[in-house]
Amino acid sequence: MIDSEFDRRDFLKVLGWGGAAVALSGCGNTSIEDGKETVVSYVQAKDYVIPGVAVYFNSTCAQCDAGCSITGKIREGRVLKLEGNPESPINRGKLCGLGQASVQHHYNPDRVREPLLRKGDKGETISWEKAYGLINEKLAGVKGDEIAFLTGEMSGHQKVLLGNYMDSLGSGNHFVYEAVAPAVVRAANLKAYGVEMPRYRIDKAKVMLSFGADFLGTWVSPVHFAQQYAAFRKGVDGQRGVLIQAESKMTLTGANADRWLAVRPGTEGILALGIINALGIATGDVAELVKDYDKARVSRDTGVEPSHIDKIAAILRLRSPSLVLAGSAAEGYVHGMQNAEAINLLNHVLGNVGKTIEAPVSVPFPQLAPSKGSTASLKKLNDDLASGKYKVLFSIATNPVFTAPASYKFGDNMAKAGFKVAFAHYLDETALQADLVLPLDSEMEDWGTHVPEYLADAAQINIQQPLMERLHANTRGMGDILLALVKQRKPEEYKAFDDYYGFLRFAMLQNKNALGGAEKDDDNFWNDTLSNGIVKLSPASGALSAKADVGGIKLPAPKEADKQYPLRLIASVTSNLRDGRHTNQPWIQESPDPLTTIVWDSWVEIHPKKAAELGVVEGDIVKVTSRTGSISAQVYLFPGIHPEAVSIPIGRGHEAMGRYAKGYGVNPFSIMDAVFERETGELAMHETNVNIAKTGQRVIVVKDEGPVGGKQMGRRVAVSRSTDQVDLSKEV
Amino acid sequence: MSVTNLLDNWAAVRHFHPIDDKPHDPYKWAMAIDLDACIGCNACAVACYAENNLPVVGREKFQHGQVMHWMRIERYWNEDDREFPDQGAEFMPMMCQQCEAAPCETVCPVGATNHTQDGLNSQIYNRCIGSRYCSANCPYKVRYFNWYDYPTTDNVWPAEMNYQLNPDVTVRGKGVMEKCTFCVQRLRAAEVTAKGEGRIVREGEVQTACQQSCPTNAISFGNLVDPESRVHKQWKAQQVDLAKDEQEKDKQEGGSDLRGYRIFEDLRAYPSVMYLERVRESAV
Repeated sequence: MIDSEFDRRDFLKVLGWGGAAVALSGCGNTSIEDGKETVVSYVQAKDYVIPGVAVYFNSTCAQCDAGCSITGKIREGRVLKLEGNPESPINRGKLCGLGQASVQHHYNPDRVREPLLRKGDKGETISWEKAYGLINEKLAGVKGDEIAFLTGEMSGHQKVLLGNYMDSLGSGNHFVYEAVAPAVVRAANLKAYGVEMPRYRIDKAKVMLSFGADFLGTWVSPVHFAQQYAAFRKGVDGQRGVLIQAESKMTLTGANADRWLAVRPGTEGILALGIINALGIATGDVAELVKDYDKARVSRDTGVEPSHIDKIAAILRLRSPSLVLAGSAAEGYVHGMQNAEAINLLNHVLGNVGKTIEAPVSVPFPQLAPSKGSTASLKKLNDDLASGKYKVLFSIATNPVFTAPASYKFGDNMAKAGFKVAFAHYLDETALQADLVLPLDSEMEDWGTHVPEYLADAAQINIQQPLMERLHANTRGMGDILLALVKQRKPEEYKAFDDYYGFLRFAMLQNKNALGGAEKDDDNFWNDTLSNGIVKLSPASGALSAKADVGGIKLPAPKEADKQYPLRLIASVTSNLRDGRHTNQPWIQESPDPLTTIVWDSWVEIHPKKAAELGVVEGDIVKVTSRTGSISAQVYLFPGIHPEAVSIPIGRGHEAMGRYAKGYGVNPFSIMDAVFERETGELAMHETNVNIAKTGQRVIVVKDEGPVGGKQMGRRVAVSRSTDQVDLSKEV
Repeated sequence: MSVTNLLDNWAAVRHFHPIDDKPHDPYKWAMAIDLDACIGCNACAVACYAENNLPVVGREKFQHGQVMHWMRIERYWNEDDREFPDQGAEFMPMMCQQCEAAPCETVCPVGATNHTQDGLNSQIYNRCIGSRYCSANCPYKVRYFNWYDYPTTDNVWPAEMNYQLNPDVTVRGKGVMEKCTFCVQRLRAAEVTAKGEGRIVREGEVQTACQQSCPTNAISFGNLVDPESRVHKQWKAQQVDLAKDEQEKDKQEGGSDLRGYRIFEDLRAYPSVMYLERVRESAV
């Protein structure tokens, strides 16, 4: 091998340098990578360190908030691969592609490695002591009300510690922001079932009717739901579960439906009421509500054929229990709440509540429960920032400059806060606007506890522990940072804790009996906890208080086409990219979008019929213009979209965040109108209207499907048959 | 040997895999993929990248068709020109079918690809000279050629990213062909362990990376000649015989009510992967 950029020495180390590179997680060694340690073999290695033999540690995946438990394969001190932990009732040994890719978050070459202080346009490396000192200095004389914290969903002891820090500052301004959270559905569920997020028993349902809930790809807890879905499809006695999906843009779940219905954007609630009408079993208020929603009208409004409404009503009457879901496609409108309420009403009418919709499991430690994210919180923060209310802003691992609609002018408003601290893994769009950037450990280097919003069969606390030692000497865990900051305020109360690990261990041991460790001594309990990666608990009692409330439901007639902006923009959430926080993981960039098979770029989905009308073909670069702005991207002809809508996925179009994310694709948030759901104040993500103009440029779409676009050319490749031609009871 | 005779007795002359007098013993690794369970989520494909040190080639090389995904999800639509794909898409996980009479093997000028005792179609990287005949001859197009030296290519495995590489799997250099191995490194480890304990590998003891990650358990993998294995039971229940180029059940009038099939079975490659057809409800 001639001179190469690929470092042979590194390569040897990766290949297992005869026990030399042994530096296991949690052992407190400094890294040999930073050159501080001599490469000497252990005279006697620890029992579990056998060169060439992998060891496994359990932890928790942090790529999304579903809280899947993971088992990391570690060799010679490096984490190589993540598998699902079979002991977790959430993911039962399985892990999605996004979860697998988190090793590329950990090893990402573009991570921030040193604390950076803004000096004009540049960041100057400073020490942690100086950074902490600076924060203390900037907080001096600032009232609690003038300090704001922006985070994503947070739970466990980190949330407790953040709460303690905020208390010590006298600040109650905690904004929990998730760009794609099911916040409207939560509110509608609270009305219909008495809880924000009940347990959905897909595995018990015989028929599922989902209004845009992409539960296999992106919604709430996809890996868990996918497993339930497998059981649902197997069914009972060879009677396979039937999935019907109604949405304006096909999601991964829609692509797996027995019947996919292209509904006119925003008319999901009308379709739900139409189905209640067609069922003919509703009485009282509900019957009164749906009496005008006859088939002809509903079909006209929604674009769904009357025969389909009949068939759906028939199968729902015949097979019980069923399960009806309201998803993100239904909630993204001004009347999103009414849509979701109308859909939830179907569950009441069909008698599913208590059968396939069960009371949630919750952890008997409310202080550890997750603070749930929404987009309304970002709106509030933005308004406050615009009015100059805050002098100091802490942003913890969120990227609102990328995910806020451009009309918020979030970046400009953020500048009005005098001192902005970003705790970040990368120099993303938000970190670049901060005055002080503090580099975080990856989830594979840090300690923590997590309680997911959606728990499966049992209450559980998920443990996050380092799978290897710190890659970069000057990153810190969020817990450690919070501890250091809270020590500035209350040194006496926290002096017993050297680090977050000590705090966490102390806090867990304090509740040892309640955590099921009554029989064990402290060390055994703690070791078992780390070894299992999960603490399973008996759940706090929860119950549904279900009532079929028709009071709030008033559905508007479908919107007339806007003359200037005739098409509806659906900013879609894809299972790979989600809100774009992982776009810089190359496996994610090169993992084809399941429906279009496009990689490394954004696209505009247009129905072939509409494309013919507009005179565009695949690869045409079109300018998509809304009232807020315009972006240009390549066209992809996609049959699974309503002709009145176009769709651009969110997650790409980064202007920062490193080599794998920057400059790939466009960001639909930059043209999204700031329109809000009427009752909850959530951003209505499907209320932007656009027009499309050709630019005259054309490119070759980079995608995995062949040039003919997924045709089998008459060969038996992917074969399908209908249920009346198959006997599933004979299968093993 | 006349062409007619050759074609009539194709099975006798073409079968390289152990049949009849030399049965697979003790292993024949095989797979069954349930297309009705597969949701097309790509978890398997990413798991394969992680396990097998597959390079991420980037947008430009992807456009040139140089992507290295050993496992890919093919997506098909209905072809009857309806307005909407109202029965969804069809997802099809596609990787090396580990053919028993693999078309790729016969054309390799240097014998770099050949059959193992346990029924794998193996690829010997340091014997490969890069003629790419095998890829040309593969009916499934699942062989991937290293047009570049990925370890030295910018941003494929830059510093730190290379620490993730699996030491059990070679990093391939420029000019060699590669493909799905059924995670041979895992198989060999399990086989050796079992041999040391004087037994054969038990069902469930070894999983391929794709199988392990699959959220819906659509992929089952195991020893086809072990009557206890799920794969064996599935193939048997579906009446798919490894050594046939047309299954008895398909000769019945009106076809079969079983959904097991192999892709391009009539090409007489005798693939080791059985698919189960996707099902769609007739009542809606």
